[in-house]
Amino acid sequence: MLEIKDLAARVETEEGDGRQILKGVTLTAPKGEVHAVMGPNGCGKSTLSYILSGRDGYEITGGGATLVGADLLDMDPEERAANGVFLSFQYPVEIPGVPTLTFVKEALNAQRRARGEDEVTAPVFMKQAREAAAKLGISNEMLKRPVNVGFSGGEKKRMEIFQALMLEPKLLILDETDSGLDIDALKVVAEGVNALRSPERSMLVITHYQRLLDYLKPDVVHVMADGKIQATGGPELAHELEREGYDKYVGAAA
Amino acid sequence: MTAPVRLSDFENAIADALPEGALLDELMAKGLPHRRVEAWKWTDLKTVLSRFPAEAGEVILHASREPDAVAKLEREPSMIMPRLAAALGGDCAVYELADGETLNLDFIGSATGHRIVSVTVPAGVEAVLHESYQGGKGSFANIAVNITVAEGAKLTRVIEQNAMPNSALVVTSGLSLGPEASVEQTTLGFGAKLARLETHVLHSGEGAKLSMNGAYVLGEGLHLDQTSNVRHAGPNGETDELFKGAVAKGGRGVFQGKIHVERAAQKTDAQMQHRGLLMDAGAEIDAKPELEIYADDVICAHGNAFGAIDEDALFYMRQRGLDEASARAMLTCSFLAEPIEKMNHEGLREALLERLTDRLETL
Repeated sequence: MLEIKDLAARVETEEGDGRQILKGVTLTAPKGEVHAVMGPNGCGKSTLSYILSGRDGYEITGGGATLVGADLLDMDPEERAANGVFLSFQYPVEIPGVPTLTFVKEALNAQRRARGEDEVTAPVFMKQAREAAAKLGISNEMLKRPVNVGFSGGEKKRMEIFQALMLEPKLLILDETDSGLDIDALKVVAEGVNALRSPERSMLVITHYQRLLDYLKPDVVHVMADGKIQATGGPELAHELEREGYDKYVGAAA
Repeated sequence: MTAPVRLSDFENAIADALPEGALLDELMAKGLPHRRVEAWKWTDLKTVLSRFPAEAGEVILHASREPDAVAKLEREPSMIMPRLAAALGGDCAVYELADGETLNLDFIGSATGHRIVSVTVPAGVEAVLHESYQGGKGSFANIAVNITVAEGAKLTRVIEQNAMPNSALVVTSGLSLGPEASVEQTTLGFGAKLARLETHVLHSGEGAKLSMNGAYVLGEGLHLDQTSNVRHAGPNGETDELFKGAVAKGGRGVFQGKIHVERAAQKTDAQMQHRGLLMDAGAEIDAKPELEIYADDVICAHGNAFGAIDEDALFYMRQRGLDEASARAMLTCSFLAEPIEKMNHEGLREALLERLTDRLETL
């Protein structure tokens, strides 16, 4: 499971001064559960996903985060990936010249090597890839194209979920996965995410809006504002936010 | 009149080998090309060679077959380096390519040597010319390659310039394209202490096609200058150039590309692109693209851009589990593969891509 305790962090700016973004985040997502993190723009929820996955440019000023007991914050991004962290990006990056299947196979085998496991053979990999692609309506032709190049917003998000299905993480973080999706694309992506639900996996769904949660049915909803978790509750909390907005929490923080 | 330059021991040794005449006078007056000569401003041959041993040697040529003839050059080149190659490189080896032939020419520098070869692709013939360049420690190889592609002939030219950290290399190529001739040239260069691959192309007839592409990877202490001058003298010609390079700290890439369209060369379609990837701080790429156009009904464009590795892409790949070095190599390789992937010859294309990948792994 994921345990975040009193996590505080600053963003480093080019001028060398920093701004405190996380001001003591505490959150526990046991395996098998889906946790939503909701909050207004600028509250620090995307920063949380970057800090958990190890992006440069942040300074941890307090607290910590562990996944199944392993200290995440001391690891390089690739070590975190091998330990089971997967971030579905809000804006998946295009990588010209690298076919998607080649990329995913290299990534999977790099993770397996790091864990001391045997590499997956080409026939086994291809079988898994075909099954995962079928679940998401991804064609063979798309898998051969360079990573995310020329894909629509919805296709990019489907490709992120495809990669998650292939890499089988212990922690799946979805960063604003609903942004830029129409309702049909949202349904396909949500079905893919639901297929990833497992008693062995924790999920953190970071979102501004309720609508993705209609399909994902979180077990727990956290409200984040001003760099802290301001409230934690059941799915009804998301509906309350949809009706009343974030004003109450933004006010509380001020 | 400017005062004659001071010659180094290296230049004096070359002068001693030359017969009396205009070439000797020019060398005595100007020396070897250096950074105050505009066309050589980023490739200071004179200064680099002044620190090389002046010992005379030769350029060893391993060719896949015997030449068809060994002869004196009919036409004197105008520039000093190929003139020196013609004067000091012995007789010119002449090859006339047969249809379907692949000619391999492997040049190996040993001490200071010169060499001149001439390759003809007769009308209607389709052939491959595959050159490779390497050199022993302290060697300087000065090579001139003259290529004539006759009417309707097709030449695939591949140039592999191996990493030669302790040697210097100057290759001056002249390509003359007849009407409807077609040349696809691909260079893979890894640099030397000093290396210059200078290519002059003349579209002499109507409707000739040139696709001239290259990729380069330069590690620390390695320099590669790719200078080209493409002249369209006949109408309806096409030139398409794409050069891409990746340079690490302490490496230096030079790209000088010129396309010259004469008044008679109407309906010319010429494109030239150069893209550089600076792999670390302390890498250097100098570029000078030029178009000179005297015809009014042409399509010509050039572009030149530099950048660093895309940090967002790097993080994305590491997030999926690739270590930083592998992710960088994959991004660099995909960047550099583009000019090579333009090759039509599948076997040569795959071989060059493999050499590129190997080089990036050992950089």
